[in-house]
Amino acid sequence: MPAYEFPGGIYPPERKIHSNQAPLQAAPLPTLVTLPLKQHAGNAATPCVAVGDDVKVGSLIAQRNGMISAHLHASISGTITHISNQAITIEADGRDSWQTLPPLDWRTDSPEKLLERLDSGGLAGLGGAGFPTYIKAQVAEHHPIDTLVVNAAECEPYITADDLILRSYPNDILEGAQLIARLCGAPRIIIGIEDNKPEAISALEHALSKIQHPATIVLKVIETRYPSGGERQLIKKVLDRDVPSGGLPADIGALCHNPGTLLAALHAVRDGKPLVERVVTLTGETISAPGNYWVRLGTPVGTLLDSVGLMPDQLHQVIVGGPMMGTPLTTLSSPVIKTTNCLIAASITELPPAPMESPCIRCGACERVCPAQLLPQQLHWYARAENDSTLAKLNLFDCIECGACSYVCPSFIPLVKDYRSAKQRIRLKQIETAKSEHAKHRFEFRQARLAREEAEKQARRQARLAQHQKPAGGGTGNHATPEVDLRSLRIAQAAAKAAVKKAEKVLARAAEQDPKQRFDDLETQLATAQENLKAADARLANARASTTQKETP
Amino acid sequence: MSMMHASQVGTAPSTAHLMRWVIAATLPGIGAMTFYFGLGVISNVLLAGLFALSAEALILTLRQRPVRPALGDSSALLTGVLLGVCLPPASPWWLIAVGAFAAIVVAKQLYGGLGHNPFNPAMVGYALLLVSFPTYMTLWSPPQPFIAETLFNETLWAQIIGTLPPAKLDALSGATPLDAFKHKGQAVLASEFWASQPLPEGTLSAWRNVALAWLAGGLVLIVKRIISWHIPVAMLGSMTLIAALFYAGDPSHFASPLFHLLTGATLFGAFFIATDPVSAATSKRAKLIYGAGIGILVIIIRTLGGYPDAVAFAVLLMNLCVPLLDIYTVPRPNGHSRAANKSMPEGPL
Ligand code: SF4
Ligand code: SF4
Repeated sequence: MPAYEFPGGIYPPERKIHSNQAPLQAAPLPTLVTLPLKQHAGNAATPCVAVGDDVKVGSLIAQRNGMISAHLHASISGTITHISNQAITIEADGRDSWQTLPPLDWRTDSPEKLLERLDSGGLAGLGGAGFPTYIKAQVAEHHPIDTLVVNAAECEPYITADDLILRSYPNDILEGAQLIARLCGAPRIIIGIEDNKPEAISALEHALSKIQHPATIVLKVIETRYPSGGERQLIKKVLDRDVPSGGLPADIGALCHNPGTLLAALHAVRDGKPLVERVVTLTGETISAPGNYWVRLGTPVGTLLDSVGLMPDQLHQVIVGGPMMGTPLTTLSSPVIKTTNCLIAASITELPPAPMESPCIRCGACERVCPAQLLPQQLHWYARAENDSTLAKLNLFDCIECGACSYVCPSFIPLVKDYRSAKQRIRLKQIETAKSEHAKHRFEFRQARLAREEAEKQARRQARLAQHQKPAGGGTGNHATPEVDLRSLRIAQAAAKAAVKKAEKVLARAAEQDPKQRFDDLETQLATAQENLKAADARLANARASTTQKETP
Repeated sequence: MSMMHASQVGTAPSTAHLMRWVIAATLPGIGAMTFYFGLGVISNVLLAGLFALSAEALILTLRQRPVRPALGDSSALLTGVLLGVCLPPASPWWLIAVGAFAAIVVAKQLYGGLGHNPFNPAMVGYALLLVSFPTYMTLWSPPQPFIAETLFNETLWAQIIGTLPPAKLDALSGATPLDAFKHKGQAVLASEFWASQPLPEGTLSAWRNVALAWLAGGLVLIVKRIISWHIPVAMLGSMTLIAALFYAGDPSHFASPLFHLLTGATLFGAFFIATDPVSAATSKRAKLIYGAGIGILVIIIRTLGGYPDAVAFAVLLMNLCVPLLDIYTVPRPNGHSRAANKSMPEGPL
């Protein structure tokens, strides 16, 4: 099968050998976990427990807030000791008792039930952005999806978490892929994997040879080149399709998931396990037992690294994520969250700080390696000059922040850092300009809420009235109620439903395109649409009640 | 934010490294020139490097910028070296100083320093000297074997005191092949011109061997991926093509493509001057156009213009076009082509 090419790319030293030798194992249970309310793209979840409550592993402790958000569950059994705006702390009781949801069968249960499970299980993409999984699975409602792409490329140096779970759970991952394929209606699944993972490839081949599945599964082994694990780059590589700028894979009929997410989805559906743990690569020269570990969410990084033999005197920095796109950790007390795929405890010789920056000499090296075909050098120039309109022309927001340009820059210019802060600045500016819009939308939301409350009150009264009058039987008083046009109310309800769907779509798209932006405004608009729908429902119910009442006698 | 840097893992050079590689690659060319034109070549290069570094240090101090890192990146030294090899052997010290000053202070630092100069600094220095001091700039002595050099002491002395007695001027001013051909006169046919042995014995082969030495250094740079092939290949290709067209049209008055390639600063310019990343175009397509433009301009100026060697002016002229080239060759990012076309393309399966 031909492999297609994405432009640019680099070949950084892999350093995967540190962590891909040992088998997957469980990290020791933490005695205390801190679970941030925001471990995903979108709004932070809202706590639904109180200090002093006892919880089991899998108990819901915070509910999602708005559409782009995810539930949060206790990852150890014990007592809630602290709740803040940011996080919930649980102290372990050491029993590790679980509370699971009833098992479902992805082959037979209804898609609604399965989607609901992905939602209630708190699933979010385990790769990077942490996009809530149920929304991604919903996209089939708006887009025909012909291919589910399993992103097993794992192109960042050091990280081997996907590699190890592919080796350990090939069947489950294929099953998880089937589950998602069924939800989005994809008739085929393509697994894209880099050729530097021979054991995972043979495990998958073996699993594929044994099992008959509804969707056809194709394994595509691709050349090892960074960043082939970028969603757009992988889709180019395995499907030869270009995701339009500012668009989504769904626009060209594809959906992308990483193996960890598929495994977690299957666990949530088949075993009723909410997302309370994940596989994390623990690596770097300053730990003595590098490898991949099942880690409970909320485990403090320091404790975790200690348990695998951290040598603190040699530690220079801890990086969350890969060495290309990850970020240095400021404190070892930060917890592992849903998107933590790798922790690199690096010595100073391993990942030394960048040498002093010197001026750009326009050598063009950055441009040659940019997989998005941008002009990094020009972006750098205009980012520093804060020239936002030119940045837009140069498609700053097409930058996937892969860091290939910074990697090759002979002048050690921290290019990606420039782009990140420019993007941040532009987002803030947009929020600034959107503020008045937002105020208007909030006002509309309030109006809609009041209307809905009024409609519901009416409906309740009508219902009471109906109850009350039934036994009386056949009074003529009801005829005083004005003739209600059921048909137009039904049309209004359908319109309200469509408005909700549309608002959901707009929000999901915006969030998926740029998970780092803020969507308060879109969430408000969605909430307004939902209020309108409820009001329409209530009015319709109200009208129905009054007509039946009329007809009963 | 990329914690990994290519240079830390030994796969790619830093800017300072790049500059030093280019300086190293000039050694074959400098060696060959010294062999044919005497030690004055080396004293030129050393003086020019020294003046360039001093000028850089001076102006950075005036601009209140850190001096050390800038000197450490070797870019000023490189500019000095490149200027030095362009000058007639043992040029007067003040001539070199003026050139280095113009290159570093005017062409580079007044535009904001490394990375900000739109024009190639060495060529700015050279062009300034060429138009201001034409007599001194044409003092190319006829090549003579290095060992047998007799004029050396005198020329070195001239370099130090900064003037030449008029009698010596005449003795020194041998024409370069390009010069000689340029001024052969309309009535003289090319065949007659060459038959009359217009240049001292060995001049042509000396220039050819020097050119080949530059080629060798340039190839090293390409193999080491310090420069990309696009600019040299485009420049030499377009030169060959245009020269061939002229030559085919009227071989009795125009020089052959080979003559153009192997004389003057052609090969030196193609690998060491036109490829200066700062003042050259950046994208592949832009580089091809940029290089081709230089090649075309060189032949046009050489055959129709007033200066026998034209590399410096051609490069400077194309430097002017770089901003435009860079704008009009902006690559279309991935995914921008089909943005308008929402239909689903057929998959490969
Ligand atoms: S970080 Fe952005 S600009 Fe740099 S190479 Fe990657 S996509 Fe291109
Ligand atoms: S790699 Fe660095 S020095 Fe080279 S053009 Fe890009 S930003 Fe400039």
